[in-house]
Amino acid sequence: MNRKLVNIVLIVLAVAIVIVIGKDFIGKKAGKNIENPFEYNMDEFRKVDSTQILYAETFHFPLKIHDWAGITVSDSMIIVASANHLLKFDYSGKQIFGKQLIDTATCITIDENRQIWIGMSHYVVMYDINGTLVKRWNSFGDRALFTSLAVSGENVFVADAGNRIVYHCNTNGQIIRRIGEKNEQKEIPGFIIPSPYFDVAIDDGGFLWAANTGRHTFENYNADGSLRTSWGVTSFKIEGFSGCCNPAHIAILDDNSFITSEKGMPRIKIYDQHGQFIGIVAPPAAFEGSLAPDITVDKQHRVIALDFERQQIRIFERKKE
Amino acid sequence: MSDKKEPKSIERRRFIRGGMQMALAVSLGGVAGFSLLKSTSKELVWQLDPFKCVQCGRCATECVMTPSAVKCVHAYDLCGYCDLCGGYLKPDSNARSTAAENQLCPTAAIKRKYIEEPYFEYVIEENLCIGCAKCVAGCTSFGNGSLHLQVRHDRCENCNDCAIARVCPADAFQRVPVDNPYLIKGGFTKGGTSKDQLKKG
Repeated sequence: MNRKLVNIVLIVLAVAIVIVIGKDFIGKKAGKNIENPFEYNMDEFRKVDSTQILYAETFHFPLKIHDWAGITVSDSMIIVASANHLLKFDYSGKQIFGKQLIDTATCITIDENRQIWIGMSHYVVMYDINGTLVKRWNSFGDRALFTSLAVSGENVFVADAGNRIVYHCNTNGQIIRRIGEKNEQKEIPGFIIPSPYFDVAIDDGGFLWAANTGRHTFENYNADGSLRTSWGVTSFKIEGFSGCCNPAHIAILDDNSFITSEKGMPRIKIYDQHGQFIGIVAPPAAFEGSLAPDITVDKQHRVIALDFERQQIRIFERKKE
Repeated sequence: MSDKKEPKSIERRRFIRGGMQMALAVSLGGVAGFSLLKSTSKELVWQLDPFKCVQCGRCATECVMTPSAVKCVHAYDLCGYCDLCGGYLKPDSNARSTAAENQLCPTAAIKRKYIEEPYFEYVIEENLCIGCAKCVAGCTSFGNGSLHLQVRHDRCENCNDCAIARVCPADAFQRVPVDNPYLIKGGFTKGGTSKDQLKKG
């Protein structure tokens, strides 16, 4: 009789413990799913008019290495630099070349002689197309943080987000000119670079364009370093740029229209040569996270994006009329 | 006659007595060990990891303190001092001004101060901040992520079972040593200035 009573008490106790634990677990789970009365809602800005989307994603392929630095394209070859590797792919995603780099890469470009230039944070190296190291510049100092390179003939332009300047150098790394330093007499506003997003590109006429990300403007410079023209739109809306550092990446098509890639709410857009918004290459819905994909363009006007969040190369082609 | 076995009941009694003595010794040792460990180990307090925070708003609504002991703090070394600040202005603001209708913060706890063209400084008034993380979401989405939440220990009751930690969907709350009670953002101050680290805010 006594043993029976003890068993009953034990069972009741066990049930009570299970109920308490279960209630706590369910309560905790329910608490985690309550609505946020302070939600920061960006849905309105993520929506786009579908008629404005002028490009479609035609292909993508995954990348197996992490910590990607940048992307460039030459002929039918996509070249990407990760923190420690230089890789080449064909447009079907097949890797055709791979090589370990001598240091941590931060940006990459290729010139018309198919020489690959890679920024290594505070110095620049040049490889030939077969991956042989040809040049290594001297360091530009600890404060330097190279984020973009553009090469035109014997002129190499290096965007330094650390010093907020574009260096115009010869191919051996000797500085010819410092471009973009604030100069009120020459009406140069100076670069505002709040974070390491500072891209440069060369247009069809050989002129330098730099994205002044803190001001949301594109600035165009003459060969003597004087400001030629600029354009920009500050707005959260689709036709503008917002946040502290946009457009994070730029590329110029051979008709001098601009492709832009933004961080925060990632999206890729196209503007004409005068800075008029033309349309969307990839809407915010095409991306996850907040990192801006690095972009490059080829002669067929395809936009090739290095998606850091998805770890993919994504190819966008203009829709047929 | 000497090999005569003891009765069974005596054997069981001895076993129970021995077991009880053993249990007592173990529990006493355990209590002593636990007390010793507690007296020598550091005291812990609650803190939230800003890199795990998903800006869910629970810090404002679930804390036993009113207003919450969780406040927005600003890593000035990460801030871009932007005119168009995603943490200060509503996304659909009609102007970049201090007008109330343009401010994202529901309690106007962020003060915008002109420094020089085109820089603005943003300062948190902790007395007004309710820890809702709306500004943190804006700054993380469009800026460098310099605005972030921290449990302020001049206000926190350090409850044994933190009400916010219980419902934090990101499990961002953790116990940290009292002599190092903050998990402040700021890549530059911590020596981490790699491009990748800064990109992630």
